[in-house]
Amino acid sequence: MPSEQRLHPATLVFDLARHARNFALPAVLLIFGISGFGGGPGGMFGGIPEGWEGWLLVLFVPAAAVSVFRYLTFRLRYDEREFVIRWGLLFRHERHIPYARIQNVDAVQNVFHRLFSVVEVRVETGGGEEEEARLSVLPRAAFDEIRSRVFSSRHAHVEQPAHAVPPAHPEPPVLSAQPELLHLDLRDLLLFGFIQNKGMVVIGAAFGAGWESGLLDRLVGRYFADDSLGRGFFRDLFRAIFGDGPLPVAPLWMALAGIAAFLVVVRIVSMGWALMRFYDFRLTRVDEDLRTEYGLITRVSAMVPIRRVQTINIRTGLLHRWLDRASVRVETAGGAGGGSAAHAREWLAPLIRVEALPRLLQQVLPGFDYGAVAWQSVHPRAFRRAMKPVLVVLTVLTSLLATASGWVALAVLVVLLPWLTLSTRKYVQHLGWVEGEEVVLMKSGWIWRQVTVARINKIQVVSMHQSPFDRRAAMARVKVDTARAGEFSHRIDIPYLDQRVAQQLADRLSTAAANTAFRW
Amino acid sequence: MSDIADGQDHQLDPRVIRLRQVTGSILLVGIAVWSLAGLLIGMLMGDSLSGAARIGLLLLWAVLTGLGAWHAFRWPARTYSRTFYRVDEQGIEIRRGVYWRVVINVPKSRVQHIDVTQGPIERRFALGTLVVHTAGTDHANVALDGLEHGRALAIRKHLLPSGAGDAV
Repeated sequence: MPSEQRLHPATLVFDLARHARNFALPAVLLIFGISGFGGGPGGMFGGIPEGWEGWLLVLFVPAAAVSVFRYLTFRLRYDEREFVIRWGLLFRHERHIPYARIQNVDAVQNVFHRLFSVVEVRVETGGGEEEEARLSVLPRAAFDEIRSRVFSSRHAHVEQPAHAVPPAHPEPPVLSAQPELLHLDLRDLLLFGFIQNKGMVVIGAAFGAGWESGLLDRLVGRYFADDSLGRGFFRDLFRAIFGDGPLPVAPLWMALAGIAAFLVVVRIVSMGWALMRFYDFRLTRVDEDLRTEYGLITRVSAMVPIRRVQTINIRTGLLHRWLDRASVRVETAGGAGGGSAAHAREWLAPLIRVEALPRLLQQVLPGFDYGAVAWQSVHPRAFRRAMKPVLVVLTVLTSLLATASGWVALAVLVVLLPWLTLSTRKYVQHLGWVEGEEVVLMKSGWIWRQVTVARINKIQVVSMHQSPFDRRAAMARVKVDTARAGEFSHRIDIPYLDQRVAQQLADRLSTAAANTAFRW
Repeated sequence: MSDIADGQDHQLDPRVIRLRQVTGSILLVGIAVWSLAGLLIGMLMGDSLSGAARIGLLLLWAVLTGLGAWHAFRWPARTYSRTFYRVDEQGIEIRRGVYWRVVINVPKSRVQHIDVTQGPIERRFALGTLVVHTAGTDHANVALDGLEHGRALAIRKHLLPSGAGDAV
């Protein structure tokens, strides 16, 4: 077995210094608190002044002890194919990191590090958010050793298959011959702004700015000083509704017109926003990358390396469908030498004609025909299964309301039940999935519909979930996990599948994923 | 290849039941003692409570503690009987869950790195926890506890890339 190494003894110094720094701020605050508000033993921290150093020690000593133990137990060694670190006295951890999976070896050396001629080394693979190993601190020579081992093994193990698999880019000359894939002209941009309806965000921001600068107060004072829409209006309106006075017709019309005008203004502002943000949007293909360029004032240029695309997301709303358009985004992840900024969500096409969609997707997924996708629906009894929790929640809600406010609660039920029934029905109807050679797709949503396309060679983990309700209905849910998906992004997560279908789907997907190599 | 990757469903090491009973009891004793202390101090300080209410509160504490003890004693056997894992050439599959069931499948080619950890009580029982890290989002790490320590090491050895050809 290769010999094990320890961290540099200066580790202790740096760790203790780090703790001291962490405790310095509270300590300073405490001292200020005492001297500032003190004025004798009855100050803000009346009881503390006598022994506050002691309290700090209570916190500091365990932290320092952890550092010492960590230093004493920390070992690293280089196996033939793996980098191994080991730490812990009570809870013993041993982590094996294959050289082939290491993406990045960083070294940090600040002034104090230089004093001891040591470095802090960070080893990153694709997993998780944090670096996989933070080696603080090592002698400079050790860093060189890690790096040389990682890179020599990378040449031996990784570059070979990369050269051995050229079909990743079959005929680049043909592809680069079609540079511009999408260009949004003025009409498209205005349409996009209208559909996207970002007006409220812009108005909200303007409102905030106006509030801060005090401009708003003056405006309000000038235009809304008279009481035409003030409290009197609402009082009259309520009276009229409860049959106790004449309907305030003129102010009512004014209010409705105001609301309508506001909605129009919001849309117009949104169109302005789209114009500014996405002016002259161009999507071009540059060899193995897609490049987007857009913006009126700030010109943004974003690169989307095609092989880093994890999922493609196609979104359509009501307006999209009336106008035969869709919005397309991609999620990318990874890339050697960039562990931190590795996740990104990029517009591929803010707005594109539905008939142009298959061609666009073929840029990312050659050989995939979106137009020919035959959607599979979920289990025929999915609606019944989906309605059960809705009914349970609704019953509980209504009975709670009923105890509080009597029979009025029934009105809630009368309104909510048909709506929830309809939306559940529509939701279940629009669920769908497809499994292709290289991709797996899922769609969901009724008013806002989303389709997510995941590449099989980017699947990380396949899981099948079954709640007690699922088991009663012999159903299951299949989830596909990809690298660093956004918190709120639409993912492959197919509910209400027949148990057997789900089982087979999960098996096939994981087998297919296992048979492909994952490359960043 | 290796005898670990037999493609058979395996249960965890049966000692995991005892292990989880022990850790569960430690947790339970901790919670019970602290809550009882809080309850008693509260009763001594506040005198607005009637005698019956005091007895009621203590009874409630006893009942909850009893339920907790029952759970700590019975639950490990139930989770044990519902946890399976399978290692084959393709990767590792873990099935678990008493009421909410889940099957997690991690292909070997997606394993980034692996930890084997062992806490003080686990060491008593010669057990260990295998943590498989992937580049995923929800399953960035998949943990399997209650493996015999040597077996956890063998699974780790199997799941990590073993040669140049393996990367493809």
